Amino acid sequence: MNFRTNNEEKTEKAFEGLRFVDDPEVGLNVVDLGLIYGLEFEDEPKRVTCMLTFTTEFCPMGESIQANVTESLKMSFPGEEIVVNITFDPPWSWDMISEAGREFLGG
Amino acid sequence: MIGSPLASAARTTSWKVVIPFYIYAAVSFLVGTVLLLFSHNAFTGHYFQPHILAVTHTMALGWGTMIILGASHQLFPVLIETDLHSEKMAYASFLLAGTGIPLLIFSFYRFNMGTVAQLGGSLVVTAVLCYLANIFISISRSKRENVHAVFVFTAALWLLITVSLGLALMINLTGQHHLFPRDSLHYLTLHAHLGIVGWFLLLVLGVGSRLIPMFLISKYTNPRVLWIIYYLVNAALLGYALLFLYLPKAGLNFIPVVLVLVALLLFAWFCRKAYQARIRKKVDHQMKVSLVSVGLLVLPTLVLLALIGILTATGQERTEVTLLYGFTIFFGWITAIILGMTFKTLPFIVWNKVYRPRAYIGKMPSPKDLYSDKVFVTMAFAYLAGFIGFAAGILAVSSWLLQLGSALLLVAAVLYNWSIAKMVTQKKFNT
Repeated sequence: MNFRTNNEEKTEKAFEGLRFVDDPEVGLNVVDLGLIYGLEFEDEPKRVTCMLTFTTEFCPMGESIQANVTESLKMSFPGEEIVVNITFDPPWSWDMISEAGREFLGG
Repeated sequence: MIGSPLASAARTTSWKVVIPFYIYAAVSFLVGTVLLLFSHNAFTGHYFQPHILAVTHTMALGWGTMIILGASHQLFPVLIETDLHSEKMAYASFLLAGTGIPLLIFSFYRFNMGTVAQLGGSLVVTAVLCYLANIFISISRSKRENVHAVFVFTAALWLLITVSLGLALMINLTGQHHLFPRDSLHYLTLHAHLGIVGWFLLLVLGVGSRLIPMFLISKYTNPRVLWIIYYLVNAALLGYALLFLYLPKAGLNFIPVVLVLVALLLFAWFCRKAYQARIRKKVDHQMKVSLVSVGLLVLPTLVLLALIGILTATGQERTEVTLLYGFTIFFGWITAIILGMTFKTLPFIVWNKVYRPRAYIGKMPSPKDLYSDKVFVTMAFAYLAGFIGFAAGILAVSSWLLQLGSALLLVAAVLYNWSIAKMVTQKKFNT
């Protein structure tokens, strides 16, 4: 997995909420699906920057997923600025699904 | 930080453009099955009858074409990897086709190919021109070579040829203008096959080869095989048209049919590989129906081979086999794939419409929570029983079997409409 962060503790807190955000097409949450490429936490100003991808560049659910990831992070880190950036570098692949995700899908 | 350069979420086609197509198609399916029930006795005679023409065009244009136009507008970003050029042109396609189709069906039912029919046909041709221009501009902006986009564009081109020929045949039939050296009935098979193979088959293969692996959550992809399928189907169609016009011998028609059969077997192989490479092991009912429809593709091809075999051997056309051929296409393969794929596309469109503007409030409902799976399964069984009953009725020339089959198909259409109504009127999630 290519995930990067600068704060493990806050990442766990973010993941708790993000595990409730599903890609509705796959029926799996964005964390286990491997859509979160990175989380960066800054103190001055207080800001959370999330690098998000989609299973395909023209994902019809993309805008919804982005909105829900933003809302989830807002709930986990109230009062902080939330920035959700979309990237397709590297492009998402099925190999990015976590072990738990594969188990959920029956793989 | 990983992941640069930054991108933005793709712009999806507005649900306001797409949903009217779905509603129109659902109502057409209902109308088609009602017409079938009231006209079932027509299926014991020759296929060139007003009521059969009306049923066929309701299913081909109102049902099959309208839902494909709607779904393809929605799926464009996924299929051709660029945004749809113009939503206004999509609206125009809907309004033009939506006005023209009932005029055509009414005219076929009354068997009057005069002004109303020709106006209806002209509106449909204009709608297709609009669709073709819209996707041509969209595709030309795409930066990558994409086999699915080529399938869709070529299919739309064949659709334009089909509907234009249909309009010309209607004008020819009135006797006001002799556009063809022979009567319109002679060209009916050409018109039908350009539509069935050129439009429906090419489009279903192009779109299906993208969506089936996607919905199965499968890693499998094989553009080389898809290009071979593309060339086989187009070669078959061009070959058939040339043989029809310049060398009309029944036995030679085996050549294009075999080419199509090879293409279908390759597509079935492609689907099998995608199925084997799937990550999600559990396959839902909607995907099962869609996969069954891939199998149903072989059925009309086999019936066609039998039809040509009989014609070559005896020199006589068996009308019940011809009727069965048409029925297995419009009520078999095309209907089955739409029944399955509707529930894999519309719930997502509605979900986007209902939930995108809402704030995140914990665990979200999934798109499949927007319809009843039990109603879907009941609909699928009613449909399959109705299809088998009616097909048996055609072969056995049995009025009561035709009536029973059409009644069951009507039940399937009512349940389908109920599910569509439930989805499109969705305001918020109710548990």
